[in-house]
Amino acid sequence: MDLENNKAQMRKGILEYCILSVLSRNSCYASDIIKELKEAEVIVVEGTLYPLLTRQKNAGLLSYRWEESQQGPPRKYYELTDEGRKYLIDLDKSWQELVESVNLIRTR
Amino acid sequence: MDKTININLGGTLFQIDEEAFRILRDYLQAINNRFANVQGGHETIEDIELRIAEIFQTQKGLAGVVTRENVEAMIAIIGKPEDFDHGEPEITAPVYTSDKRRLYRNPDDIVVSGVCGGIGAYLDTDPVLFRILFVISAMFGIGVFAYIILWIALPVARTDSQKREMFGDEYHKVRSQAAKTGDFQGTETPIYNTNYNSSTKLGNAINEIFRAIGRVFYIIFRIFLIMIGVVFVLTGFLFILCFIMIFVFNYPGVFSVDSSGVSLIYFFDFLNYIVSPKAVPWIVILSSIALILPMLALIYWGVKMIFWFKARDGVVNLAGLVLWVMTVAALTIIGFNEGINFAQTAKTSTETVMPHSPDTIYVRSDKKIADLKFEKELALPHKEYSVFINDEKKELYIRPILSVDRSDSRITSVEVKKESAGSTEMEATKKTEDLQFNYRLNGDTLHLDEYFTIPAGRRWAADNVIVNLHIPAGTIMKFVNDPRIMLRSSYRDESDKYLHSWWESGNGVWVMTRDGFEPVDEYPVKHK
Repeated sequence: MDLENNKAQMRKGILEYCILSVLSRNSCYASDIIKELKEAEVIVVEGTLYPLLTRQKNAGLLSYRWEESQQGPPRKYYELTDEGRKYLIDLDKSWQELVESVNLIRTR
Repeated sequence: MDKTININLGGTLFQIDEEAFRILRDYLQAINNRFANVQGGHETIEDIELRIAEIFQTQKGLAGVVTRENVEAMIAIIGKPEDFDHGEPEITAPVYTSDKRRLYRNPDDIVVSGVCGGIGAYLDTDPVLFRILFVISAMFGIGVFAYIILWIALPVARTDSQKREMFGDEYHKVRSQAAKTGDFQGTETPIYNTNYNSSTKLGNAINEIFRAIGRVFYIIFRIFLIMIGVVFVLTGFLFILCFIMIFVFNYPGVFSVDSSGVSLIYFFDFLNYIVSPKAVPWIVILSSIALILPMLALIYWGVKMIFWFKARDGVVNLAGLVLWVMTVAALTIIGFNEGINFAQTAKTSTETVMPHSPDTIYVRSDKKIADLKFEKELALPHKEYSVFINDEKKELYIRPILSVDRSDSRITSVEVKKESAGSTEMEATKKTEDLQFNYRLNGDTLHLDEYFTIPAGRRWAADNVIVNLHIPAGTIMKFVNDPRIMLRSSYRDESDKYLHSWWESGNGVWVMTRDGFEPVDEYPVKHK
């Protein structure tokens, strides 16, 4: 079995959940989300994030507005939509269930 | 000093040195290849470009020149496109064994359509080899066909997994090598092809020549395709135009079907006299669809060929095909229902014997076609069977057949047979009674109508009237009126064997000999 591969698959599964969780605390720029995810070692390269943000935005979970930046070009300022919030609650539940299921099996 | 290039990245201007520019361009091309065909991909590409601009700006400010180190640092932050999916550069995708390899067209290595690029990838060989092979075999004609067949048969490797199948195990080797050197290349020289391209400079030069030749061939191919498309469109339009002119405006014009001038143009009008009135509009609508739909398809394909666009028209095509098949099926069912009325034919005949056998029999027409009032003449194919339609009286008129044969006895007789079709033999027999045909014998003269009448309200049932004249050998027969009307274009005897044409006797005089019925040039006759 390939441990690295397995780890990557797990991370991939929770990545979208993590993005929504970061945004649920406060709205922020893509680079802020990246910073948090990198610190938590959920992602390695930034490129992973952009397609996911686009997909979530197109799914109606996120919205953004343009904000001028002191350091460079204008940046997208992301926040959760109402739909995104509802979706996140569902994901929270699913995550809880998953953790419980795994614990149940591990501690048996 | 190194050359610097000005670029616009996400709305910000940067100065970048040549080497860095090359790496950046290849990197952006790789990003573009990765997302161009993904839903919302363009937005992702824009986001990444903005981020690159941001990174450069924090590294250099607006004044500095972006160098190779900057670009490499930026790539390390954002990552290479193949790492996006996995989130971890070291991760290897499932290994593809060589038996899973498939032949595709390689969209990243195209000269004409990517066939040779695909074969090269499949066999881990420089595609230039196959290009040369195809050009050589094209001189003998085989190559062109083989190439076109491969072009049609091979799918394009669009997705990552398809490319993996195309390259097999080689894929990862090539990719990881490309990843290590940071050597990202665009469509012209794709990353997957790095090691092949480095093989020879000569190969590259030849490939370039082939690309140029390929473009020329592509243009020729397009012109050819446009020409076919134009033919398709014109054919479709002309057919529909003809259809409308003939069947809607009843204008035969130059499109007359039959050389005799009369044609099938009144076919839809004639339908009223053949099938049940309820079926007529259905037949008209259904057969119009059945004829016009393929022509519309032809026009559409033609337009598609001319303008060379790809459309998601699979559903429309399928719907059209289904509609057409259903139309034809419905027509068949209606045709079958109506055809039952023609299942059986029956003949009734009456024979009149002449009290004495005259030496000369005169044939005279009473009611003449020349005096007939009719609106339309419909010539049905075969057997010179014309139907004259009088829409006012709702009557149909048809010529009888005159047939003459030798009687074994010395007796002269006239037999009139009426023939009709019906669903049963009884019904067919009953229908023959409707046919109105007048004839009488008066001394040595046979009076005949030039046509028989199908009265109003009675539908056409493949009706025929056959006047069978049995005359002893030596009897002369003289047509008082134009014989061509009675004899149609050729005279036939009972067995329907071709014997003579009416024009063989210039004066309309014929004689029955022991060998058969023959024309006489002068009257009275010289007996043989």
